[in-house]
Amino acid sequence: MTLLDEFQLFLKTLGWPDWAYYSVPALTGIVIIVAAVLTIVIVFIWWERRLLGRFQIRLGPNRCGPEGIFQPIATAVKILLKEDIVPAKADKVVHFIAPIAVFVPVLMVFAVIPFDKAAILVDLNVGAIYIIAISSLSMLAIFMAAWASCNKYSLIAGLRAIAQMVSYELPVVMSLVGVAMMASSLSMVKIVEAQTLPFILLQPLGCLIFFLGSLAEMNRCPFDLLEADSEIVAGYHTEYSGMKFALFYLGEYGVAFVYAAVITTLFLSGWQGPFLPPVLWFLIKVFLVFTLILWMRATLPRLRVDQLMTFAWKFMLPMSLINLIVVAIEILLVPASLQWVMIVINFGLAAVLILLFSRMFTFGGGRVEV
Amino acid sequence: MIMEHIQFIAPEISLLCFALLIVLLDLFITQKRVLPVLSVIGAIVAATFIIVIWNTPPVGLFDKMISIDPFGLFFKLLILAATVLVILASHNYVLKFNKFQGEYYALLMLSAVGLMLLVSAINLITIYVALELSSISLYALVSFLKDKKSSEAGLKYLILGGVASAILLYGMAFIFGLTGNTCLTCIAEYVRGMPFKDLQEVPALMIGLVLIIAGFGFKIASVPFQMWVPDVYEGAPTTITAYLSVASKAAGFGVIARVLMTVFGLPVWLHNDWAMIIAVLAAITMTVGNLVAIVQTNIKRLFGYSSIAQAGYMMVGLAAMGLTMGTKENVTGGLIFFLLSYTLTNLGAFIAIIAISNKINSDEIEDYNGMIKRSPLLALGLTICLISLAGLPPTAGLIAKIYIFSGAVNMGLAWLVVIAVINSVISAYYYFKIAKAMWLGTPVTEEKVDASWPEWLALAACVVGVLALGVVPGLFMNLTTAAVRIFGI
Amino acid sequence: MPEITYSITFYLMAAIAVAAALGVIILRDVFRAALSLILLFMTVAGIYLLLHADFLAIVQILIYVGAISVLIIVAIMLTRDARQGQPLGKIKWVAGIVALALIGVIAWGVINTAFYLSSTPPLEETVKPLGNLLFGNPGYMLTSEIAAVLLLSAILGAIAVIREK
Repeated sequence: MTLLDEFQLFLKTLGWPDWAYYSVPALTGIVIIVAAVLTIVIVFIWWERRLLGRFQIRLGPNRCGPEGIFQPIATAVKILLKEDIVPAKADKVVHFIAPIAVFVPVLMVFAVIPFDKAAILVDLNVGAIYIIAISSLSMLAIFMAAWASCNKYSLIAGLRAIAQMVSYELPVVMSLVGVAMMASSLSMVKIVEAQTLPFILLQPLGCLIFFLGSLAEMNRCPFDLLEADSEIVAGYHTEYSGMKFALFYLGEYGVAFVYAAVITTLFLSGWQGPFLPPVLWFLIKVFLVFTLILWMRATLPRLRVDQLMTFAWKFMLPMSLINLIVVAIEILLVPASLQWVMIVINFGLAAVLILLFSRMFTFGGGRVEV
Repeated sequence: MIMEHIQFIAPEISLLCFALLIVLLDLFITQKRVLPVLSVIGAIVAATFIIVIWNTPPVGLFDKMISIDPFGLFFKLLILAATVLVILASHNYVLKFNKFQGEYYALLMLSAVGLMLLVSAINLITIYVALELSSISLYALVSFLKDKKSSEAGLKYLILGGVASAILLYGMAFIFGLTGNTCLTCIAEYVRGMPFKDLQEVPALMIGLVLIIAGFGFKIASVPFQMWVPDVYEGAPTTITAYLSVASKAAGFGVIARVLMTVFGLPVWLHNDWAMIIAVLAAITMTVGNLVAIVQTNIKRLFGYSSIAQAGYMMVGLAAMGLTMGTKENVTGGLIFFLLSYTLTNLGAFIAIIAISNKINSDEIEDYNGMIKRSPLLALGLTICLISLAGLPPTAGLIAKIYIFSGAVNMGLAWLVVIAVINSVISAYYYFKIAKAMWLGTPVTEEKVDASWPEWLALAACVVGVLALGVVPGLFMNLTTAAVRIFGI
Repeated sequence: MPEITYSITFYLMAAIAVAAALGVIILRDVFRAALSLILLFMTVAGIYLLLHADFLAIVQILIYVGAISVLIIVAIMLTRDARQGQPLGKIKWVAGIVALALIGVIAWGVINTAFYLSSTPPLEETVKPLGNLLFGNPGYMLTSEIAAVLLLSAILGAIAVIREK
């Protein structure tokens, strides 16, 4: 029983007509989600800029409001006031739809993210696959933007987007299957409830693969080849400005929020935690994951395309397959009371495998090998 | 419980294991000659398993997914025999693929696995998946040469095959929507229980039936779904052409016979309807095939049209089988016997062609001039197969045609048999055109044409089979009647 | 869901699906045609949802929108003059008439047939029963295994076909 269901029941008791007690809670939920996502995204942007400043031994934006907290808002206003330029040879319709198509799936994913046991729009019993399916849509939208811009840099970014998506979706789904097996459900609420021990302890390898894969899916460093400004200007959104660019920008942070929330739900036992209220726990974990993502960005250089592909097919895919098989065997053989055995085995296995693969495979030296 | 079932699909599993073994071994060994030996062993092991389970009573496995019965087992043996013969015939041909011989054999065997599952499938879903398994392997095999013609052939086969399986699937969807079942016997029960007297009262069944016939029509290359045949036969590696023309076609007939006989066998008005559709298609198919074959100059294209014509004769047998349902007559084994004879004959002819074209690098009939002087045995073998294809004594072709036509006459299809006989006469013209070129033509060079021992072995097996079927058909008649007995009531 | 909302949603989805399908053949720009196809896939997923087949709907999006369309788009990248597309051929009228006749026959068939209606209520929890059915015995275990072999043969075939000559 989610909060929205209760709201709906309440409206029903008030004697509202059919269409109203279906649509009003739905719309309310959507509005809440949009508002919450936008707020958190703004905080994310501020957090990233400040923290990145620290990482790079500079101050970061600190003028607008206390600690520069209003800087993202100022940036947003600046972007919104800019002129909207559409290239003359662009495919106008697709060029217009693309930014929306990037942002909408991001919001759609939040329908199944449980901020709390009851604070979820809808607890789909296929929640986990829903997330994978919907988030694959935004990569398509990126390609739409790239194609419609009629710009060769954009197109290169689009090609990279497709390659990246095809390669990294497999390991992500594989590691998700491990979680689903352990929770014996695909419903996000049930997955959280199944985590008496967070799954990051039980499946460290799966968690690592999911984390790296989602970095690639959200085009974050070190996998941000789609907008590698040193190579292809600004990638797929080179030809975008004004509000449309803002949507891409928001979408990018929205996706980061989505994946942070998904990782929190799947591997960090979601809203669960002592003392503090569940929603707060959830947000703390999300911020932790996001900070880790930031840390990666500040630390690691960008991969090359061939390295990116090699990494996906030669490291992530075999690892996720091994992880899947090992987890399946453990679920069959290890009784629930001996979970610590599983923790020990899995951590050992992860360490050995990573060591082995790092010895066996090189991702190409200084030269591009195609 | 699963183990009890698995012993019955041991033939498929063993063949699959050998296919996987070949793929894996191919990575490590440099001596590629081991691979055909392994694949032949795999096929023989599978055949042994089939013979072991030959005498078990008919049984449906895996929740009515596939059935083990003499009909399916007979076809499985036929497919395995065709696979072995094709592998033997590929002995020299595969050298063209140098590093990819392992994939060639593995795909051939995977396609055989698909066909074997196809002929024993008794569920629409299994039928579809098995069909796709065999087709997808064959798409790749057809374009295996990678030259222009082969790639074009592969693409044509892929696209038309895709359309055909979409049509088939659509037909299946109609049948499923009407009956709510995918297992053939359950559908048959529903269909028999229907209170209708005419196909027009159940349009969904009619559309489903037509679409399913169309979908399988592609597989057996009946007119009007034969467009792919000439180009694909010409472009594909000759060994794969041979395989397509026998194994794929035989399995197609196996599955269409099973679906039509089981699902649409009764009530009487239903099988009268589809038997008429098949009979008319048969008449058109053989006429088109034979008439177009006359003008061909490329031997592979000619055999393509010839195989269309032969499919026409087989459909005569299918129509006759349909009409026997519900009467006191036993279902005749004519179709099965014809398939057996056709498989041996056509394979024999193709093996000779493969051996010859390996040497002369040409598929034009005029290059076969005077082949009798260059390689008497190959020319003799090819001639015997041509005689059998034309349906003349003392070969299998004659007996098969008599068998199939007499069955059709019994069922009142005399008009169709008249057309078929006229067609046989026409076909004799182009079959003997090749024979004439080989026996009477003057050779371009005197250079001898020879074959490798596996090719000789395969050719000898085919020719002996063709002659044996022609001289002592009684031995095999029992087998074929036993195979179709499951359709009796 | 109330009956009326259900009907409205269905007809809306159906209308969009038909329009998108028409778009696929009519649009000259191949990329737009592909996008139209993607829209079609999504509306089909919506119709599955209305039929209480939530797993199927999600898988439809995952496979058709997420994977098949990507393949189509990669194919478009390899197409010359993707924006001009291919003008309709000379036989467009024949093709149109045949297509209309086919639609007519199928519509006649669908309307005039009493289709089998299942009386069992839709499942609430679909994933587990589906898993048991797909990989269990009795169930579609054998078919799933054949499908696995099918994928293997497709991979083998693809490797063999794209090899260097």
